Amino acid sequence: MMNSMNNVEFLNELVNSKFNVVKTEIINAEQMSFIVDSRDVHTLLTLLKTSGWKQLSYLSAIDWIKEDEFELVYIVFNWDRPVHIQVRTRIKRDRENASFETIIPIYPGAKYYEREVHEFFGIKFPGNPDFHKQLILENWDDMPPLLKDFDPRAYSDSHFEKRDYPEKHINLNNQESKQEKRQKRNLKSLLLRNGGKK
Amino acid sequence: MRQMKLFLGPQHPGMHGNASVHIYAEGDIIKRSYLLPGMLHRGFEKGMERHTWMNNIGLIPRVCVVEPDINEMAFAMGVEMLANIEVPERAHYLRMVILELARISIHLMSYGGLGGPTGLYTLMYHAHADRNRILNIFEKITGHRVYHMYIVPGGVRKDFPVGIENDIHEFLNDLESRYTEYRDLGIENPTVLARIKDNIMLPESVVWELGVTGVGMRSAVNKPYDLRKVKPYARYSEVEFDVPVYDYSDARNRVDIKLNELVQSIGIIRQCLEKMPTGPVRAKVGNGQSMRWTVPKGQVYSCVESSRGEFGYYIVSDGGTHPYRVGVRGASYPQGLLGIEKYMPGTRIDDAPLWIDTMGVCSPEIDR
Repeated sequence: MMNSMNNVEFLNELVNSKFNVVKTEIINAEQMSFIVDSRDVHTLLTLLKTSGWKQLSYLSAIDWIKEDEFELVYIVFNWDRPVHIQVRTRIKRDRENASFETIIPIYPGAKYYEREVHEFFGIKFPGNPDFHKQLILENWDDMPPLLKDFDPRAYSDSHFEKRDYPEKHINLNNQESKQEKRQKRNLKSLLLRNGGKK
Repeated sequence: MRQMKLFLGPQHPGMHGNASVHIYAEGDIIKRSYLLPGMLHRGFEKGMERHTWMNNIGLIPRVCVVEPDINEMAFAMGVEMLANIEVPERAHYLRMVILELARISIHLMSYGGLGGPTGLYTLMYHAHADRNRILNIFEKITGHRVYHMYIVPGGVRKDFPVGIENDIHEFLNDLESRYTEYRDLGIENPTVLARIKDNIMLPESVVWELGVTGVGMRSAVNKPYDLRKVKPYARYSEVEFDVPVYDYSDARNRVDIKLNELVQSIGIIRQCLEKMPTGPVRAKVGNGQSMRWTVPKGQVYSCVESSRGEFGYYIVSDGGTHPYRVGVRGASYPQGLLGIEKYMPGTRIDDAPLWIDTMGVCSPEIDR
């Protein structure tokens, strides 16, 4: 049985000797991440797959709205050398044209993950035959919902009728609502904690 | 021959959960099929970004309806990894008892589910009756039957009630004594065997192509690829258990692995109850103010072995009181979507529910 720390060192050497890795993070003995330039992703994934990291565990994206970037995350796993590897890369956050070449030729299982990422982030995956088809959100008519500037409250306000509740359901016998009571209680406890100062 | 379009689900006795399989059939052979998910999409990944770390505890068990505890465990493990929390020793064992009880309950349910498509409802009634006893145990421990919200970052919510060990032992002994009955009723039964033997194959090449994990993988590659062995979490390295494997993956062998795992889980729970140390069960997080608790920056992937395979959470923190992004890797994602599209064609229509049952497809975790 191979020592798990050796696996991390092995990977560190394997990848850093061949690639210009922007940053390597060792999270623990069973997980590490390589942050690479977007041009290196496919060759790095190919190298990892031929080195035994045969399983694509997860593929997703993160919307870093402040940096104006999307981050794509590929997680691969090797059952004989148990290290989960995150391969991460950043692409420009372009709402209309953000795109990234598919990895189906390397990991065929990525097909539906990429479809999902397209649906929830709007990133296009040229090379994936079905990436534009709808998968989970039926007849969606707004911006992709996992973008940080999508507001679910505003969406539901604009798409669904506001319900009017009778006055007696909102304010029973002119008593304070539970929420008001809770707010008062919180304010009081805050005052107590701060020694009477606001 | 003329092609006919048929819908398997969302309301169909052979369909598991609220998803639909669109089938194009010629005669009774499926020529083209695909899964239509989305009927259970509840926006969990977005919802989790809008709740605090601790508030999410109430949300995550609902990601997978029949097996909620793995969600809690994967989420808790991820947050502990980010925040460097040391979990008390006793909590590890309590978690393992809960997880293994959940594994027994889901394997019973899935084994009982075999009764639906094969027309043997007795099996389903027996399995559900036994599962109900596990739910009773859960209710005594956590106060809830299905969504327990028991495993939290830092440990577990509270210690076991006094005397629960007797209930668990009693149940395990009963289940063990009925184990041969279960086998005789299900996979040893000639009428069922005729349907599942040498049917619904899953070759090794397909396992690697799709990325199938769990029972499907172990039945095809003949290696103990179980995260509890390969990458032990909690205290699985301290207990002894076997990982049942096969080198020939038909429906019968996959069901057999589930039944063998059930026996192993019984053994694990007994060892846990025996080895469990005394002590605290929950580490304090965020100076006791868990609602204003901030988790350090970072991105981790944490995963556990569910009854269907590797179940993971990808958690991103920007150092705030809310998660920046939480992604869920449903264990049945590969076989549920790409598997149905590519490898269900060729089977008969009446084997489609068996395909879904023995491959382990759970629609809530595909939708999220």
